[in-house]
Amino acid sequence: MASVNWRYSNWLPIIAVALYVTVPVLCSIYYAVFPGGRFSLAAYSVITDDASLAAAATRTLLIAGLTIVTLVATLVPAVLAVHLWAPRLRPVLEILCTLPLVVPPIALAAGVVALLRWGAQQGRGSLASEISQFIQHPDLPLILVGTYVVLCLPFTFRSIDAGLRTIPLKAMVEGSSSLGSSVWGTVWRVVIPNIRGPVLFSVFFATAVCLGEFAIAATLNRETIPVWLFTVSNTNFRASIAIAVLLNLSTWILLLVATLSAGRFSALGKAKRKAAALDEATTLEKEAH
Amino acid sequence: MTEATTTVRETAGNDVVFDGITKSFGSTQVLQSIDLHISSGELVTVLGPSGCGKTTALRILAGFEKPTSGRVLVNGQDITSVPANRRGIGMVFQAYSLFPNLSVQENVEYGLRVRRVNRDKRAARAQELLEMCGLTEFASRYPHQLSGGQQQRVALARALAIQPGVLLLDEPLSALDAIVRSQIREEIRRLQQQLGITTMFVTHDQEEALSIADRVAVLKDGVIEQLDEPRTIYQKPSTEFVARFVGSVTEVGVDPQYRGGALPVQHPDAGLDTLFVRPEDITLVPDEDGPCTVISQIYTGERTVVRATNPVNDLDVTSSVSASEASDLTPGTRVTPQVMSTPALRVAAHGQSPAERVIV
Repeated sequence: MASVNWRYSNWLPIIAVALYVTVPVLCSIYYAVFPGGRFSLAAYSVITDDASLAAAATRTLLIAGLTIVTLVATLVPAVLAVHLWAPRLRPVLEILCTLPLVVPPIALAAGVVALLRWGAQQGRGSLASEISQFIQHPDLPLILVGTYVVLCLPFTFRSIDAGLRTIPLKAMVEGSSSLGSSVWGTVWRVVIPNIRGPVLFSVFFATAVCLGEFAIAATLNRETIPVWLFTVSNTNFRASIAIAVLLNLSTWILLLVATLSAGRFSALGKAKRKAAALDEATTLEKEAH
Repeated sequence: MTEATTTVRETAGNDVVFDGITKSFGSTQVLQSIDLHISSGELVTVLGPSGCGKTTALRILAGFEKPTSGRVLVNGQDITSVPANRRGIGMVFQAYSLFPNLSVQENVEYGLRVRRVNRDKRAARAQELLEMCGLTEFASRYPHQLSGGQQQRVALARALAIQPGVLLLDEPLSALDAIVRSQIREEIRRLQQQLGITTMFVTHDQEEALSIADRVAVLKDGVIEQLDEPRTIYQKPSTEFVARFVGSVTEVGVDPQYRGGALPVQHPDAGLDTLFVRPEDITLVPDEDGPCTVISQIYTGERTVVRATNPVNDLDVTSSVSASEASDLTPGTRVTPQVMSTPALRVAAHGQSPAERVIV
């Protein structure tokens, strides 16, 4: 009896958390697709009716893509370099990368606004003003890419750093270079394949951040999907909820993929699956005989 | 950056020269003006306790460390400033360091892939090496599916695949158990002789060093104490350190006039010569008035190691005898130790130079 009780109490917090997370989503879904108690997808007609949604979606995806490329292309080499050649600088890089966690996004936004305003005040046609104009262009606000890269630094650093710690990096690099490979050849052929999990995890996590960030985009008045949702909620509340549900679910799926990929795409996992496939093939072969 | 096109010719058997190599890390001097010449096709083991600089010497030859001063020459060419990936030197590490994301075959092909050898040639060469190292059936496995010994064989095949002129082995056997260790040791020697590769083998295990080498370099505190054939290192060590570090030895003090025969067992002291005697050079003669008492017998198969002690000064004498001789030397027997042949080393009482050898 006691053990049964224990088992129930074990599940209790999990159920509580599950309810806490799913009830608002379920309510949103109900509200979006059961207007007046009858099933209807009318709310989703906004996708085709409102051209600004498509524009906002394209913009958001573009920003997400650029953010990911910038993030991976700068941070992976940086963390790698610190691990290989300057282990003493690792704590410095760690602190730098963790800093965004303690700065509230709104403070970040205020700083960015101040900077852009300063640029604009340098006078028409001046270089600073041109740059300021360029990076806050409404079609593709590059300033958001930069800001989101900064927002993503803490967990991307952690993930890649942890990935590099679990592999015998120095031995790999030395083994590879004794076989004639340049450092970048080694990184491409050996290091990256062995930290594929952590890198993919960072990619998916960054995507989730880019799809959900509101404070900075709203402050800069650049229409990304979250900002669009906020604007539309004033006029067409049901549509905003309908799209929010879609966004929410796709983010969840991304996070799920991220979590799975961390295990699935790791070198070891890949090797294990290959081995399992091989075993299976040989058994089949044996059965055939 | 383009991939390495080996600047060092890919012909087996290049000679290696360490020319006055010094290496310091901060204020610690790890290597002090090392001069070492490894002839073409020769296997030299570098033997020493941990921290003696042996791995640093190897890493300098591999190109992973830059010497503070001095030059490294391979086949007459100064390669001191050539980066590791352009030296064409094969290396086997203590921790295997295979690439976990690549299969055994892909690991062996790696160096050829870097050199842009075409797929068919690569596969053929890898097959040849896997066969040579007895790994054919493991070609499609991944490193984590292999035992330590198998992994080290793969590492060896991988290093040999690029047809290196020089092969470096950094304590390759120390992570393996005894049986596998001696198997792979013999295999390394066989392949090395078959291919005629100049080889530098670093180890802290003296048995390993003696059994595999053409010559042994004993290193202590960054200085080569002795460089000789294994037999000479064991039978005629040139310093006290070498005598103590390689093989077991009994140290006794004798009168400068002592010329062999019954050994007065006393501690080395001022005014006395110090003898370093190998167990097989000492006989224990049963003698009721002998100064020593047998305290233990250790049976090792072919030989039995008998230890006797002088109860007055607690000095132990170690002798190695055949099984039949051992039957007379049960613990408790009084014995007189005798030195039967030239001791490994005799250090004169007043001579400050340690290597003054006197025939007894």
